[in-house]
Amino acid sequence: MNTMMTLAQTGFPVPMAAPTLAHYIAISAIMFVIGLVGFLTRRNLIIMFLCTELMFQAAGIALVAFGRYHLSFSGQTFVIFVLTVAAAEASMALALIVLLFRRKESLSTEDWRELKG
Amino acid sequence: MEQIINPYILYGLCVLGAIGVCLALPRRGINAQIIGALVAAGAGGLTLLALGLGHPDALPNAFFYVFSLVALGGALRVITHPRPVYAALYFVLTVIATAGLFLILSAEFMAFALVIVYAGAILITYLFVIMLATQAPQEGEIEVLTEYDTAAREPVAATITGFLLLAVLTTMVFRGFGQLPVPAAEEPDALLAQMPRKVERALLSDGSMKPGDRLHPDARGNAIINWENRTVEVDGSKTAVALPRSLRVTNPDRVGFNLLRDHPGTIEIAGVILLMAMLGAVVLSRKQVQIDEEAKVHQARSLAAPLAKAAMDNRTSEGGGLS
Repeated sequence: MNTMMTLAQTGFPVPMAAPTLAHYIAISAIMFVIGLVGFLTRRNLIIMFLCTELMFQAAGIALVAFGRYHLSFSGQTFVIFVLTVAAAEASMALALIVLLFRRKESLSTEDWRELKG
Repeated sequence: MEQIINPYILYGLCVLGAIGVCLALPRRGINAQIIGALVAAGAGGLTLLALGLGHPDALPNAFFYVFSLVALGGALRVITHPRPVYAALYFVLTVIATAGLFLILSAEFMAFALVIVYAGAILITYLFVIMLATQAPQEGEIEVLTEYDTAAREPVAATITGFLLLAVLTTMVFRGFGQLPVPAAEEPDALLAQMPRKVERALLSDGSMKPGDRLHPDARGNAIINWENRTVEVDGSKTAVALPRSLRVTNPDRVGFNLLRDHPGTIEIAGVILLMAMLGAVVLSRKQVQIDEEAKVHQARSLAAPLAKAAMDNRTSEGGGLS
């Protein structure tokens, strides 16, 4: 009881057995790569943007883990801005997708080949 | 510096994961999605096991394993599920598992913000757009998945690219085992002095301060707290009042202080970004697209056909009853 009190008072309550930084970085890297592979392989516009959200998510895990490692709250503050950018990106991308879908009645990336430079 | 995981084992695991993800991607013809998912899950599990075996004292708690496996499994299903709606729902699962990881990292505020903003707002927008942008199957017709959802584009090349990146990243990162430090012994609740209203509310609900009393403020309006015996000066009473033991600085308090005191300019920038995104979305979706007349007629016919058929059926059955 007494030790629990002091641990909680430190502001960063220590979990039962703290996973090390490497564990979180591993999870973050694997999730990022899964998002990247999804972005490269899927041909549905919406799924491609979902995969970018997956990569944002992985970046968020890395930020919070590094913030915890350096005992700084700036990591968590940064995740708030990542959330902001993700929300802005989602609204713009989805508006564009709806516009594109109204023109071609399809979500395939191949239908927009003429856009390539 | 020594590597945490033997590099050869690490590269072997990366290759195994790549094979699994490649098999799990949707494709025409032979579908090995389940085998691929199992192989990928095995690779992920072995990675975590290898991380633990190297340093048994650094073995994380069970919640970490549960949340990370759910998060990575959900992420794998996001990129492999042929139906977009299910992919979005699996992404919600990933978000919730990530919120669990944030809780283990004692970032409570971020965990709640993630569930509310990501799972609650962004993903619902995605679901709406997915439902707007997919045609419902006609009555009596078996739903056919579109070709661009059922076949991946260049699965082998993309997986090799991705896992090459993963191998390089993890080789660089896994040099040394960063133990998450126990915080320093500095007074953790020192921020309470800057939150006199919070202290007042706690004292009022505790009963140790009469309603109408105020904390005695210092020159900057902060509370005057004596940390040695955890007491605070109150205007009404002669003696200092003891702070309740449950009163402490929470994670949202700290994030709020960090956000508003250390990064005030970035909040303005974030606000501008959100405003721009809102304006952009409104402008983009207001734009009318001219559908040509032929397409309109075609659509009207396809909508009217089932109705006409139903009316015809009705009439014939009525006629049958009369004769």
